[in-house]
Amino acid sequence: MTTTLAPNMLERIKRIEVTPAIPAILLPLMELLKAPPDTVEMDEVVRLVSYDNAISAQCLRVANSPLFGLAAPPKSVSAAVVSLGLRRVESILLTCCMGQAFPVKKWVLDPVVFWRHSLGCAMVCRKFSEKLTDSDGERAFMAGLLHDIGFLVNCLAFPEEFIKAMEVAQSEQIPLDAAEQATMGFSHCESGAVLAAQWKLFPDTIQVIAHHHDVENAESAQALVALVHLGDLLCRMRGMGYGYYERRKVDMISDPAWEILAKEHRELEGIDLTRFTFELDDAVGEVVELVSTVFGASPVHA
Amino acid sequence: MTISTQTVSAPSSPFKVAKPVDPLYRQIRDIVYKVSGIYNTDEKLYLLVDGCAKRIKELKLRTAREYLAHLTAHPSRDGELRFLLNELTIGETCLFRSMPQIDALRKVILPEFAADKTRQSMKRLRIWSAGCSTGEEPYTLAMTMMEESEGLLKGWKVEILATDLNDRSVEASKAGIYGDYGLRNTTDYYKRKYFVPTDGKKLQVKPEVKKLITFNRLNLSEDAKMLFMKGMDLICCCNVLIYFDGTSKAKVVDHFFGNLNFGGYFFLGTSESLLKLNDAFHLVHFPGTIAYWKPSLKSGKL
Repeated sequence: MTTTLAPNMLERIKRIEVTPAIPAILLPLMELLKAPPDTVEMDEVVRLVSYDNAISAQCLRVANSPLFGLAAPPKSVSAAVVSLGLRRVESILLTCCMGQAFPVKKWVLDPVVFWRHSLGCAMVCRKFSEKLTDSDGERAFMAGLLHDIGFLVNCLAFPEEFIKAMEVAQSEQIPLDAAEQATMGFSHCESGAVLAAQWKLFPDTIQVIAHHHDVENAESAQALVALVHLGDLLCRMRGMGYGYYERRKVDMISDPAWEILAKEHRELEGIDLTRFTFELDDAVGEVVELVSTVFGASPVHA
Repeated sequence: MTISTQTVSAPSSPFKVAKPVDPLYRQIRDIVYKVSGIYNTDEKLYLLVDGCAKRIKELKLRTAREYLAHLTAHPSRDGELRFLLNELTIGETCLFRSMPQIDALRKVILPEFAADKTRQSMKRLRIWSAGCSTGEEPYTLAMTMMEESEGLLKGWKVEILATDLNDRSVEASKAGIYGDYGLRNTTDYYKRKYFVPTDGKKLQVKPEVKKLITFNRLNLSEDAKMLFMKGMDLICCCNVLIYFDGTSKAKVVDHFFGNLNFGGYFFLGTSESLLKLNDAFHLVHFPGTIAYWKPSLKSGKL
């Protein structure tokens, strides 16, 4: 994929002081979890996760949090899967993995806010996908979780410029990507795409990272990119945004992404969007608690 | 440095985790939603549980299951649903009830109106509080508009129409006297600026606020009268349509659509949905709230 980033910017991403290392288990884990829930090979997942003590430990800590209110707290990852179900453990594992990839001490963005938005978007995308026929909920979940990793690249490679962008976004109450364009001349979409390519993420995921703010320019997987774009907007309007008031109106039906998604999914027209919006609020509590448990009380320092 | 504001930091106390609820209540929620458009999220399901408990006691029933049967099969189910809706919405009203709606109005909608060329030439806004109950909503709107009278709306004429079916409500609205409960969301700033003490501990709205509002009795089902309510820029109709049956609801909503100017907005209660009754309205999202929008002519999406 071509990038519009200036060569000196690319250099800086490559020379990030602490290059975000992808946790060894992340890609194989995502590969395993891509299967439909009832066919996921649980033994394989548990075996894989047990390679990484830190992630196993963190997964158990979350599984034992009051959020889930389990009478008998699980003592192993496999017990956690039995008690909580694969979906929840999957969210926990992926969140923990991402937390390890990006050590919190280098952040200029509040990690709790970032992960709350990312995990929130992942859940929204999965729920959205479930409303459509023949749409892969797991693929949508992963794409939602990873869509904004470019912000983390900006934290590490361009901290001063990115702080400026965040200040502008907050004071002018404008979207963060617009503030990045105005102050830095590029956005997290471009820098995220560079890292995603380095990490060799799935091509669809790379498209989502690169084009979730300009869906029509996606080179492939346009429906998925459109879905994440809309999920991202919904998330930001329902209290899981970047922690400041975005002075904006979101008209999903007039958004070009809506038309792109509707082209592949005619059933989109029949969705009761208001009810869907209310249903999303049900997921917020769980997201907030999960992220606070992983990143809030005791920040992760990999 | 981590940029964060108060609103972005993680909650320090454990997030309220919804207690497990009898799945029967989710069924009751679905029935209530289908008929009335009211949706109680999981976090607010306790309101539904409380409301049902009161009805169960009143009807001398024993269990939620018996109540569900009463609500679905009993010959008096329509009446029963009305009783339940009363329980769900009782005492909800107060001044400044929904801050996200007021923020959307001040930060997004009014700037949009002020920049609109057609509206700019007239410098006039018409607002309708349909089903104004005891006046909390129209007064909130009036004070919000007055706050903008030296800024965005300098030189504009604002007319607020407040109607209710019930004569006593209209009279109470005109009086504009509120106690602690009705003023629970009203800040000292507004109390000092727009109210005078009366009746011991109560406060009365100042005449200059009342001047903005015309109070009238109106039945939303009277087609002839509805046809005369043209030229609105904003219509608020909170927890009123929930009592209409499907056909008459659709008719009222069509009237509202016709009564709005292009680019005008329609607000319902915070947990209330239009149930896809009118496809010409666009559901739009603002931070923390939704509204229905009559697209402007130039958007070409009508």
